[in-house]
Amino acid sequence: MIRLAFRNLFQNKTRLLISVGGVALALLLILSLDAIFAGVERQVTAYIDNSRADIFVAQKDVRNMHMAASAIPTSAIDEVKGIGGVEDVTPILYVSNMVVAGDERNLAYIIGLPKDAQMGGVWNLASGRSQPGEGEAIIDRRVAEKSGVGLGDTVEILGHTFTIVGLSNGTVNIVNSVAFISLDDFQAMRGSPGVVSFLMVKIAPGVSDEAVAARIESEVDGVTAMPRAAFASQERRVVKDMSTDVITMMNMIGFLIGLAVMALTVYTATLSRRKEFGVLKALGARNAHLYQAVLAQALMSVLLGFVLGVAFVWLLSGIIPRLGLMLSLEIGQASLLKVGGTSLIIAALSAILPIRQIAGLDPAMVFRGK
Amino acid sequence: MSLASRNLFQDKTRLALSVGGVALAVMLILILNGFLAGMNRQITSYLDNSSGSVVVAQKGVVDLLGATSLLPPGIVVQVEAEQGVGQVIPLLSQFVILDLHGKKQPAYLIGYDPDRGGGPWRIHTGREPQTDGEMVLDRILAERHNLTLGDSIELMGQNFTIVGLSDGTTSWMTSFFFIRKSAAEKLLRAPGAVSFLLLTPSEGADTNELVRRLDDLQGVNALTKTTMATNDIKLFAKIFSAPLKLMVAIAFLVGTMIIGLVIYTATVERQREYGVLKAIGAPNRVLYTVVTMQALFASLAGSVVGILLAYGAAEWIMSARPQFLIAFDPWDITWALFAGLGMALAAALFPARVVAGLAPAEVFRK
Repeated sequence: MIRLAFRNLFQNKTRLLISVGGVALALLLILSLDAIFAGVERQVTAYIDNSRADIFVAQKDVRNMHMAASAIPTSAIDEVKGIGGVEDVTPILYVSNMVVAGDERNLAYIIGLPKDAQMGGVWNLASGRSQPGEGEAIIDRRVAEKSGVGLGDTVEILGHTFTIVGLSNGTVNIVNSVAFISLDDFQAMRGSPGVVSFLMVKIAPGVSDEAVAARIESEVDGVTAMPRAAFASQERRVVKDMSTDVITMMNMIGFLIGLAVMALTVYTATLSRRKEFGVLKALGARNAHLYQAVLAQALMSVLLGFVLGVAFVWLLSGIIPRLGLMLSLEIGQASLLKVGGTSLIIAALSAILPIRQIAGLDPAMVFRGK
Repeated sequence: MSLASRNLFQDKTRLALSVGGVALAVMLILILNGFLAGMNRQITSYLDNSSGSVVVAQKGVVDLLGATSLLPPGIVVQVEAEQGVGQVIPLLSQFVILDLHGKKQPAYLIGYDPDRGGGPWRIHTGREPQTDGEMVLDRILAERHNLTLGDSIELMGQNFTIVGLSDGTTSWMTSFFFIRKSAAEKLLRAPGAVSFLLLTPSEGADTNELVRRLDDLQGVNALTKTTMATNDIKLFAKIFSAPLKLMVAIAFLVGTMIIGLVIYTATVERQREYGVLKAIGAPNRVLYTVVTMQALFASLAGSVVGILLAYGAAEWIMSARPQFLIAFDPWDITWALFAGLGMALAAALFPARVVAGLAPAEVFRK
């Protein structure tokens, strides 16, 4: 029966190609949206992941950076430095603003870095310098290329002109990029001395980051301290919580489309082989055997569609960055499992129509030449 | 023509499946576009409904939601002294992430002075904040998290009591909530800070000329509210257009595949009949027309069903998830029909190849 299913499926190559392609595309709908959000989740934490800080200290109840604001009095810097287990503290200023180059406006995290910052600075320098001085900025290399500017050119940040002295890699995502200026410039422009946004804390070797974070929270007023991994996880949750409903909606539509394509394929294939199934019935084949053939056919097509769908996403994830889009696609295990499960359900459901057809098939029909 | 319809209607189940498949693809395209249109309306709701026609922002800031704006100190007095300026409303605003029942919810904080304006334009229940510990929250956001008047929310280390629920301030990403400006200053540790000025020109004043003059002030950028709303839409479109275009392209391809599969199968099954037609002298052109007519009919029926499905699905989504607004405009419907037409023409290529390659003599050999 498996061989019969196999033959049924592969007998007409064009039909197979169209149907498997259809299923692959339907699964691609589910996979690609998952992959887009997984990509954003990874990109959105790039700054935190590469900050070299062990602990992030923010204003009380602020647990992430994206779309958030945090203000801590500068007096907290020395308070945190004085806590046991803390080796170094780097304060940064942060705001979401524009990097303007000519007519190009790019949304960016603007980071104000103190002189010789040990944490929170550029982690992958493409060219130039990694520490911005007065009136200087380091911007993302891809943003610079897109805007047609390079080292020595000027950009406008927070309404002031800065000379580009460095270009960094890995500091851009679909939403924004990261630009670095000096803490002094930042403070002067924002007119809020005595306040920083976040403190990045390096702890002594062998000390638990959770224990030190807890100590900071208990000993310094009005702050929330979190180990880097926990802080990054909170950042990812902003994306996750925002995307859950959209992903659910898209999964449902993808599932229905996949089901329609698959049902159509298996139904059409079974319909065109009706005579053969009739002969098999006339020869004494039991319905159960024929059902197996139909189900196997559905499973095979869906499996092929699934493999093709994954291959499509993989291909897209390679092509999209080359097109200059800031989009990044990432296929996660959970997403593969989900789409795999969905495929199985699609295969099972799409076999229902042809199974009903076979069940109602009259073996004598074949002798009547129908 | 009758051959085309006979071919197509010969198997009703197959026809239903194909129309259903195309309908789903068209529905997906429409929902995606409607989703973006709805989001555009939601993100500009504050600018659309607040008073004034000119916005003064920090130099370099051209949108409300994209970048944090901070105006130079003393700007309110400076702007008020300009000729042609009527009412001036200072705001302190900032995106924040609310932690509501373990869920992270981005929301846009508007700090305003109730005596000057700039607050919620439609209060469903309750009142405006009278103290620095009170807030007006979006009604739908509150409902989603089982919050009601009198409940409190902890924000950046401070407790706020909900004293009002506002209407028309919801959005998937950017629900607005309102506190007093003095409370926002404390919260953001920025005493006296102003993000934006909403400005109403005095009667008879030339708005464009006023914008030009304000723009010359040190450290500020003045623009009309309409321009700022357009910039906000552009910013969000920039973020969402790539994924959206990808989804629409996939949906289009799926629809094409579905019609292609159906018409192809129908053509292969009727291969002999096409052979007979060729043998009695029918040119390929006639056969192509038959194939294309089938594709056109299946796609047209699918598009119409898809449009109806999209309206139904949109209603259902908006009632189940009120934070989403799905808005259709007549152009979307035209676009869906064009998409269906495009799918049909692309799909007709598969069977057309079969028909073109058919040898007329083949029918006599069978």
